[in-house]
Amino acid sequence: MAEVQVKDSSGKGGKVRSQKQPPHVDLTPMVDLAFLLITFFMLVTTFNKPNVMDLGLPAKPKDKTQTPPPTEIDLSNSISLIIGKDNRIFYHQLDQAGLNEQTLQETSFDREGITKVIEQAKARAKDQTKFTVIIKPTDDAVYKNFVDILDEMAITKNEIYGITDIKSWEQAIYDKKVGGSAPAAPAADTN
Amino acid sequence: MTDVSFLLLTFFILTAQFNVPDVETVTTPSSISEKLLPDASLMTVLSTTDGKFYFTPVDNGTERMQLLDKMGEKYGVKFTDKEKVEFTKVQSVGVPMNQLKGYLNLSEDDKKAFKSQTGVPLDSTNKQLIDWVQKSLEVNPDYKLAVKGDVETKYPKVKALFEGLRDIDFLKFWLITSQEVAQ
Repeated sequence: MAEVQVKDSSGKGGKVRSQKQPPHVDLTPMVDLAFLLITFFMLVTTFNKPNVMDLGLPAKPKDKTQTPPPTEIDLSNSISLIIGKDNRIFYHQLDQAGLNEQTLQETSFDREGITKVIEQAKARAKDQTKFTVIIKPTDDAVYKNFVDILDEMAITKNEIYGITDIKSWEQAIYDKKVGGSAPAAPAADTN
Repeated sequence: MTDVSFLLLTFFILTAQFNVPDVETVTTPSSISEKLLPDASLMTVLSTTDGKFYFTPVDNGTERMQLLDKMGEKYGVKFTDKEKVEFTKVQSVGVPMNQLKGYLNLSEDDKKAFKSQTGVPLDSTNKQLIDWVQKSLEVNPDYKLAVKGDVETKYPKVKALFEGLRDIDFLKFWLITSQEVAQ
C-alpha cells in the first residue's frame, strides 16, 4: 500500500529537481487500520461485560425468639402471583376460602399481561404505599420465570415484594387448574 | 496522529479482557437491568439446564490455594503442591470433593474433554457448593458472588442455592442477565 513517490524527471527543458528528496510513504491506510482496531477494541472491552441484577435475600432469623410476629397483609393490599409450568402465571387476591379454580386467574408474562395486572391491583389497593406482591413459584417454574418476575417488579417499581413457597391450598387449586384445563392457552413465549 | 492512534491501540489491546467461554453453554434470562457486572473479585456459580452447578473461584492464585487448603481440610482431602498449582489454573470446579483430586491430575487435554456428570453437589445433606462459597469468603470476605443460571434451570434448584446462601448469611449477590431486547 505504501506508495513511493518518485518524481518523474523527464522534462526536457524543465528544471532538474534534486533527486535526493526522501521518498514519501503514504500513511493514511495504516492510520485507518489503526483507528479501526481501536474502535474494535473499545467496543469489545465495554460489551463483553454481562448485565447483572441485584438480589438481596432476607436474612434468616438466628433463633426462634427473634422471629418477627407474622404480619398479616390486607388482601386488597397484596397480590399473589403463582408461577407455574410452561411459562404460565396465575394471580389471585383471595384467601383460602375464596380461592377456587375460577377465581385463580391466568395471565401472561408480557407487558399486556402481568404488568397491567399488577398496576391495576396497585391502583385498587387501599394503601398504595404498602402494596405487596407475593411471589410464589411452584416447583414447575424455571429460573427464567423467576428472573422475569423480579424484572417485572423493577418495571412496575414495586419495592415491596416477597418470594415464598406456595401454600398447600394454593398448590391444590393450581394443580387442578393446570391439570384440568386443556392446553388452550399455550405458553406465552417459549424463546 | 499515527503515534497517538497506535498508542491507544496498544492500550486497548492490553486492557482488553477476552471472555473465556463457560464450561457449559448457558442462556441467561433477559432483564431490563442496565447495570454491568462490576470489576470486583468475583466468584461465579454456574447453573446449567439439567441442574448441575459449577463453581468458579476468584482469579487469584494464592487465594485459590488457600481456598483449596480450607476445602481439603473440611473434607479430609490432602492436596499435593502440584495439585494446588493445577487448581490455580482450572477454570471452574464441577466435581464433588472426592473426585477433585483425580480431576486435577488429568492432563490439560483430558480436562478439556472432561464432562462432569454431577457438578458440585448441592442438596440437603451435601452442600459442597455452599461450602465453596463460605470458604472463599473466609479467605477474603470482600468477594462478590454472581449467579449465572440457564433459563431452563428448575426453580427448586435455584431455591436450594438461595436457601443455602441464606444459611451462611450471604445475602447480597448478582444474577447475571442479558440485555432485554426491544419487543
